Amino acid sequence: MAFVSPTKRDQNGSYTFSSRPRPVEDRSKYREPPSEQTQSNYGNIMYDRRVVRGNTYAQQIIPTTALPDPVEVQRQQEIRRRTVAAKRAREQCRTRTPEALQGRKHIDVQTDLYLEELSDVIVASDIECQTDAFLDKPATPLFIPATSGKDVETQIEEGELFDFDREVQALLELLVGKTVEQSLEEVMEEEELAGLRAQQRAFRELRNNELEEVLRLKEQERRRSKEKERRVAQQKEVLRKEREVAEKIAARAFTQQYLADLLPAVFTSLRSHGYFYDPVEKDIETNFFPWLMAEVNNSLEKRYTARALLDTIIDDVAQKRQEAFKDTQ
Amino acid sequence: MAGSPYDPSRAPVAYGRRAVPQLFSELQQQEAPRRLRALASLCDLLRDPERISCTVSGGFLEQLKVLLKDEDSIVRAKTCELLHLLTAHRIGRQALLSSSFLPHLSELMDDSSSSCRRNVQRVLNRLTLMPAGAEALLTLVPKLMLKLREEEEDVQVLLLSTLSSCSCLDPLPALASDGVSLLLHKLSDSSTDIRREATAALMALSVCEDGMRQVCEEEEVLPVLVDLLRDEDVEVQANAAGVIMYAAITNEGKQQCLDLDVIPILLSLVSQDGEEEKDKERKKALVMYSLRALTALAEAPQGRCLLLEQLPLLGRRSEAAEEDQDIRRNAQNAVRVITWTPCNTGEL
Repeated sequence: MAFVSPTKRDQNGSYTFSSRPRPVEDRSKYREPPSEQTQSNYGNIMYDRRVVRGNTYAQQIIPTTALPDPVEVQRQQEIRRRTVAAKRAREQCRTRTPEALQGRKHIDVQTDLYLEELSDVIVASDIECQTDAFLDKPATPLFIPATSGKDVETQIEEGELFDFDREVQALLELLVGKTVEQSLEEVMEEEELAGLRAQQRAFRELRNNELEEVLRLKEQERRRSKEKERRVAQQKEVLRKEREVAEKIAARAFTQQYLADLLPAVFTSLRSHGYFYDPVEKDIETNFFPWLMAEVNNSLEKRYTARALLDTIIDDVAQKRQEAFKDTQ
Repeated sequence: MAGSPYDPSRAPVAYGRRAVPQLFSELQQQEAPRRLRALASLCDLLRDPERISCTVSGGFLEQLKVLLKDEDSIVRAKTCELLHLLTAHRIGRQALLSSSFLPHLSELMDDSSSSCRRNVQRVLNRLTLMPAGAEALLTLVPKLMLKLREEEEDVQVLLLSTLSSCSCLDPLPALASDGVSLLLHKLSDSSTDIRREATAALMALSVCEDGMRQVCEEEEVLPVLVDLLRDEDVEVQANAAGVIMYAAITNEGKQQCLDLDVIPILLSLVSQDGEEEKDKERKKALVMYSLRALTALAEAPQGRCLLLEQLPLLGRRSEAAEEDQDIRRNAQNAVRVITWTPCNTGEL
């Protein structure tokens, strides 16, 4: 029935389908008995019921499901009924011109100023107009004025007036030259500064080197001199101590020797000063002897007074005798 | 290109010797865009030393002082850039110093615009190329150290470079403003430039006795420096070796270095295996400083014991085969110190 070539796979494996063109069959309303189905009637496609006519923009789209939803169907019937009812209601409410009286009839009349005949045919007249075809204009004759004076010709060739390369050279030189000059100046400046800094850095390195040596030697000198001082001081201290020790020993020896006979000397001196005394002797000395001496003194005094008295008597006598002698002389 | 009428960002430049005076008179105009254009043209012109001498002798620098206080920050930044160009030559530097620009510049260090601050630091950095400049900047050192805590990375590099140049002249102001602990933070920074400049500044600081003492007293400094000896950049290594060489002069320094086991590292730096020709140039400072550090450490008894075993290595460096005279002298010195005994004091 259908002249469809079997679907075969292409060489790449993609799917292809092709069929010979065939006319659309006419479809009758009722299904034919199966025996007669093989006969195919071709109808005019313009009169086919299945083809959509006219503008399709407001077309109702047939729902995809074959059996419409009963709810949907009911709802649509409802809507249809409602619209019909509304239309009828509107029709009823609309006021119309009253019916014509008996024996009269309503007729449409024009009330304009000028009546015009209403007819379907529009009076039209055709008028044609056609311009003549253009004729070729004949060529204007060349205007050649009468020559007067000398004829001179001149022709400016390609590169005569203006040689771009030469003219642009000056401009380019200026532009490039100025730029290069400026950049050279900047580069020179930077190089000068870089050279200055490099020189400073080299100097600084050497200076640091030597300075470190100087400082290290200074520190070393300081350490060594400090060390020397400390050792000298230490030595002096040692010497001083030694001397002190020697003096101490000498002093000790001397003292020992000096004080060796201190004790007996002390005792002797004490004894000689009478600090160790025999109490009886002392007593005799302190008490008895002074009394004794005093008594002796007393007795001696007495003797002396007696002697003195005697002396005075003798003297007296002698005097008297002398006087008596003198008297006698 | 200066002076081209098609460049809208630059003022037109007069011919010959009228160029600079005319641009400076343009600078006195009221409108800021005109001043900016004149400044841009001046920046292009002043790369030429002759123009600089013309500027200086014409006495136009006072105008620049006025412009430094302008309201527009771009004008201030451009003026600083102009001063930066002036300092590229000796005449300019001298003129800047003698016209007392420093108070104005130190005010600008606190400016709100970062490009302005960056240009000011560039100017100060260039000024230190001259010893008189470095001396004049010594008064600004405390302020520079304050700025070191706040600024961004590239400005920090400039600050550190300025500080190290000033401290080479006189390390005391920087030491007084707590320089060692500040530089300690910068030593472990991730950027190579900052590490290089920080170690250079620290080396300048540790030259004087006070500095040496502070470097030994601050706890973290020597360990960080020993780590930096193994850094990738040669200059950082050289500077770290320099600080160690100065620190090892004092007794505490020697003791700390020996505790940190720094001698094998220094020996590996001094040894010659696998060195190429171009590396030798760059490594010269590193080798010199390492040899000096070893010499200083050899004065301590522990150091001497370790180094007596390594004498052949140093002996190789001190032979006539070594091309560089300074390295040879340093190595011979080191050998002499290591093998010193009290009996041969006469030689020392």
